[in-house]
Amino acid sequence: MSAQSPLVQIQDLDIRFRLDRKSEPFHAVKGISFDIPQDATVALVGESGSGKSVSAMAILGLLPENAIVAPRSRILYGGRDLLRAPMREMQQIRGKELSVIFQEPMTSLNPVFPVGEQIGEVLRLHMGMGIRQAQARAVELLNEVGIPNPQLRVNSYPHEMSGGQQQRVMIAMAIACEPKLLIADEPTTALDVTIQKQILDLIAALQERHRMSVLFITHDLGVVGEIADRVVVMQEGEIREQGTVDAIFRHPRDAYTKALLACRPRLDRRPMRLPVIDDFLKGEGRVHLEERRRGTSASDAIILEVKNLDKTFFLKEGLFGKRAVPAVKDVSFRLAKGKTLGVVGESGSGKTTVGLTVMRLHEATGGEVLFEGRNLLSLTEREMMAYRRRIQIIFQNPYASLNPRFTVGEILLEPMRIHGIGKDERERIDMALQLLRRVGLPEASFHKYPHEFSGGQRQRIAIARCLTMKPDVLICDESVSALDVSVQAQVLNLLQDLQDEYRLSYIFISHDLAVVKYISDRVMVMNDGVVVEMADSDEIYRNPQQEYTRRLLASIPKGLQRARELET
Amino acid sequence: MSAILDHPPAVAGHHSPGLWLLAWRRLRHDRVGMVSLVIVVFFLLLMTASYMGLVASDWSQEKGVSYANPSFLAGAENLEAKAMEQRAKAAKAPPVDLSDVDPLAPRYKEWEERAKKIAVTEVKRSETLPLGGDKWGRDVLKKAIKGSEVSIFVGLSSALLATLIGTVLGAFAGYWGGKVNDFLEWFYNIFTSIPYILLILAFAAVATSTGKFGKGIVPIVLVLSLTGWTGIYRLIRAEYIKHANREYVKAAQAIGASNNSRMFHHILPNVSHVALVQLSQYTVGFIKAEVILSFLGFGVPVDMVSWGTMLAEAQNELVIGKWWQLAAAGLSMAVLVTAFSLLTDSLRDALDPKLR
Amino acid sequence: MTAYVIRRVWQMIPTIFGVILLIFILFNWVGGDPAQVLAGKISNPDQIANIRRQLGVDQPYWVQLLIFVKQVFTFDFGRSWSTNEEVSHIILTRVGPTLTIMLPVLFITTGLSVLFAVLVAYVRGTLTDRMVMIACTVAMSISFLVYIIVFQWLFGFILGWFPVQGWSESFWKNLTYYAPLPIMLAVFVGVAPELRLYRSFFLDEIHQDYVRTARAKGVPEKGVMLKHVMRNALIPILTNVGIALPGVFVGSFLLEVFFSVPGLGREVVTAVNRSDFPVIKAVTVYLAIITMVINLLVDVMYKFVDPRVSFK
Repeated sequence: MSAQSPLVQIQDLDIRFRLDRKSEPFHAVKGISFDIPQDATVALVGESGSGKSVSAMAILGLLPENAIVAPRSRILYGGRDLLRAPMREMQQIRGKELSVIFQEPMTSLNPVFPVGEQIGEVLRLHMGMGIRQAQARAVELLNEVGIPNPQLRVNSYPHEMSGGQQQRVMIAMAIACEPKLLIADEPTTALDVTIQKQILDLIAALQERHRMSVLFITHDLGVVGEIADRVVVMQEGEIREQGTVDAIFRHPRDAYTKALLACRPRLDRRPMRLPVIDDFLKGEGRVHLEERRRGTSASDAIILEVKNLDKTFFLKEGLFGKRAVPAVKDVSFRLAKGKTLGVVGESGSGKTTVGLTVMRLHEATGGEVLFEGRNLLSLTEREMMAYRRRIQIIFQNPYASLNPRFTVGEILLEPMRIHGIGKDERERIDMALQLLRRVGLPEASFHKYPHEFSGGQRQRIAIARCLTMKPDVLICDESVSALDVSVQAQVLNLLQDLQDEYRLSYIFISHDLAVVKYISDRVMVMNDGVVVEMADSDEIYRNPQQEYTRRLLASIPKGLQRARELET
Repeated sequence: MSAILDHPPAVAGHHSPGLWLLAWRRLRHDRVGMVSLVIVVFFLLLMTASYMGLVASDWSQEKGVSYANPSFLAGAENLEAKAMEQRAKAAKAPPVDLSDVDPLAPRYKEWEERAKKIAVTEVKRSETLPLGGDKWGRDVLKKAIKGSEVSIFVGLSSALLATLIGTVLGAFAGYWGGKVNDFLEWFYNIFTSIPYILLILAFAAVATSTGKFGKGIVPIVLVLSLTGWTGIYRLIRAEYIKHANREYVKAAQAIGASNNSRMFHHILPNVSHVALVQLSQYTVGFIKAEVILSFLGFGVPVDMVSWGTMLAEAQNELVIGKWWQLAAAGLSMAVLVTAFSLLTDSLRDALDPKLR
Repeated sequence: MTAYVIRRVWQMIPTIFGVILLIFILFNWVGGDPAQVLAGKISNPDQIANIRRQLGVDQPYWVQLLIFVKQVFTFDFGRSWSTNEEVSHIILTRVGPTLTIMLPVLFITTGLSVLFAVLVAYVRGTLTDRMVMIACTVAMSISFLVYIIVFQWLFGFILGWFPVQGWSESFWKNLTYYAPLPIMLAVFVGVAPELRLYRSFFLDEIHQDYVRTARAKGVPEKGVMLKHVMRNALIPILTNVGIALPGVFVGSFLLEVFFSVPGLGREVVTAVNRSDFPVIKAVTVYLAIITMVINLLVDVMYKFVDPRVSFK
């Protein structure tokens, strides 16, 4: 890092959004200031709604039409205030001196032009290159970002490439004109863990090679630890803390920062309860020292046994034919009563399909699911009804798993009515209210609609819905993946409490290795529809046997670990 | 629901607004939308009043002289009326005397005596009418009102029927998929491979040539709805396909809700706003279609009046300078259709706001 | 791709059969005995008996259906019930005038609509935008009939720029003398709804992520609109034109009726008036087939317009 003047200086940035004619504008960024030094990586960290993306977009003047920037705000670059620069000037800077890559590469690339042409566009626009010259340079760039066969791929369309490759194309477009600053807005959030690592390495390598600054926006502190020099922590439009990575990770001063650091499940320790941001903000935050032991033993009672499960999807293809897509191949496992089985894998591994097939939300093409001795897959729908209440599922997307037109009360009462739980409506309402309390929601929620709740709260409602039927097995299909770190910790704690209290058995499906290790007794690793490895959780993380498992574990961002090492 | 009211005050909290209440609130702030709503409601009230006979029930009476001038053009010349008068006078001239060969001749005097005793009101035809008169001297204003009743009623009922058909079929196709979908898609393809106007004309041909579609306005309502359901079928089917894959429906399946419950209790409320907007659009479209069909003679029967029949008469009237029937029908229709269209737009925005 | 085309053609067969079935049910079953239908329209009893025999009215329904199917595939629907002209001849001679009017209408309307839609989308949200939209809504709420009556009266009768009605034998004379007024009318009325639709297509595209990327690359707003957005919006626009294409053959029957253009649309209207079923049946079935073929061609053309489309 150099002691030169900073590349970009953000001063007192204040942004509001006009929502509609009647309401108050939404105050997204409340007067923040920070610098981006030259030749350095700054991580802008925060949860959803913190205003981090908005702040970054303001640098390039890419705010939506209803944004209002306060007159006193300034963004200084190269001797001028970007917020006041005329459009013509901004257009000359964008893509040339300051560039951006976004979170969703599939939609961020224009679907109707080949990638070579899109990369070439920046070159033609800013470097005055001709078509052929630009095309040649595009090939070089594709090579630099690690796309195999660049000569061929330069004529491909975005949809013909994988997510990781699309992101590389975006990066190629962004560095084509050797910018001074690259803004990366959650570039790896939508990618698989192994691909994420590759992209992070690429960005780090490019940063060094081209000596450019990088503003990296993320919610993942692990990533931050790996790549950043400086960290800026934001919450609800304000900066809570900023400093060097060492300072932030070693001596966090702000309660929120401390909470963020502590809430993530760690790979090396397993406290009884995860600390929660609210605890920290109230000043009561501390990390539980007592650890929870996890594991299975041969004497555990088995509540669910899956044998040779197969699920193949058939798609129409060709003139009359069908194409078989095997999603789950010969999967077998056992679930011990009162314990948690973690199922880990990347997208396409079949882990979600396993969960849905066990519940018969998909019809299996082969195998058995033995519950209390009966094969669920062979039951008729009517016979299945009796078992439906015993195995329940919580889905990933809290915004889609509750019917937007039902009140919370209706959502909770429906399963009870279907299964005849409770002798009359009155009793059912009582039970519903009790459950709401149990999951930590106010009773008044009963009359409200889902859209009035946050993601974490909706997951709690989903959990309550499952509990109305007093199930034995709960399948959590990426149930905390869509939640912010702090909320995630709350929901995980809730799930653990419920397991302790009701002796529930969980099948916990996730791609997040740290979370899985924290909550599971036994872990099953899946890839491409098959079980790669299965062992007790401590064992598998300590001593992975299979190549794929090792690769998976190696991709976990080590940032937090580095922090721990610094700590001690 | 009384169980909830019995409960201690802690829970009898406020009922949050659902979709419709929220949409209504948004609509209230939309000035264009509210004005359109008022206009549409006005027309609907007018339609009801006309239907119940409170206004314009005597539209077919020939109150005025032929092509009576509108009140604001009272002084203008009315050549046609004069010509009619001449002809009427000529008709009243005493007939040729045939009494020597006419076997009934002796009885004429007797009958004339009797006839004189019966009071016959000779209606004096007025020179002007509020919005003028048509060729037979019928009041254009009353015709416009009655016409709007018929046109709107036809438009609305066809729209309702078409929406019903399309929604039910779309729901089944989208939810069940498989063979049910294949069959319904085949059915849909048949109707959509025939160009729409041609389809309507084909149905209209059979409706008017045979009595098999019913009487009065029933044929045209059937024609419009049996040919027009395809648009909403497509929309609802797409919505059902989308929603059937959503997690809240899978969750419903997981808790054991039946297929019917999922289709109509769970998904339908999430899709009904689409149906409503489409219903509104259909009404506009079918009103316009009815006008054209009635103009060509395939719409409402001859003893009824609609905007279409008025425009049919207006075509020839314009050449001789009588423009009021064209204006009355054209204008009232334009006002209603504009209001309805703007209302549809506002409705759509209120139900599904996007920052545009 | 050949496999795709073959599969599509194969799929067309049940639909064509379905159309034939629908028309048959409508006209032969619901429509019923021509004797009743034509009562009062044709006075010659021999003629009616002839018609009944040709249709096979006294035979069981499936025989009648076979007769109909045969008619479709041999392109021989017999003769019109009212004019006794051969139906196939009717169709072939009337298509020309219809296309003479409708093809220019299609091109000009689409061109103008796209042009105006781009302009309006460029100034979206401004007063101009809202005014244009309201103007379109009002324009669309006035019945086509009113436009025709007024235009005919104004341009033909009062100003005398164009003939009020008529058609000639010469193609060129038709195109330049008789067709302009109806074409102008159709374009004038047709632009409003298309403008609204295309504007919504453009706006949909403007809100996509790739537009944000283009701006982030420094592409000026004009380039964003004309290059990035336009190219993507072309896809739904072409879909829309593709849907409208089959309608070109029926033409605007109102225009043909008012302007005495001897086209297919007017022919159908006349047939409805006279309960001339063979004409209506034939036109309907053949246009359905034409529609399916056009749809197939449009779908094939998609491959060149939308790279995401693949044929399986």
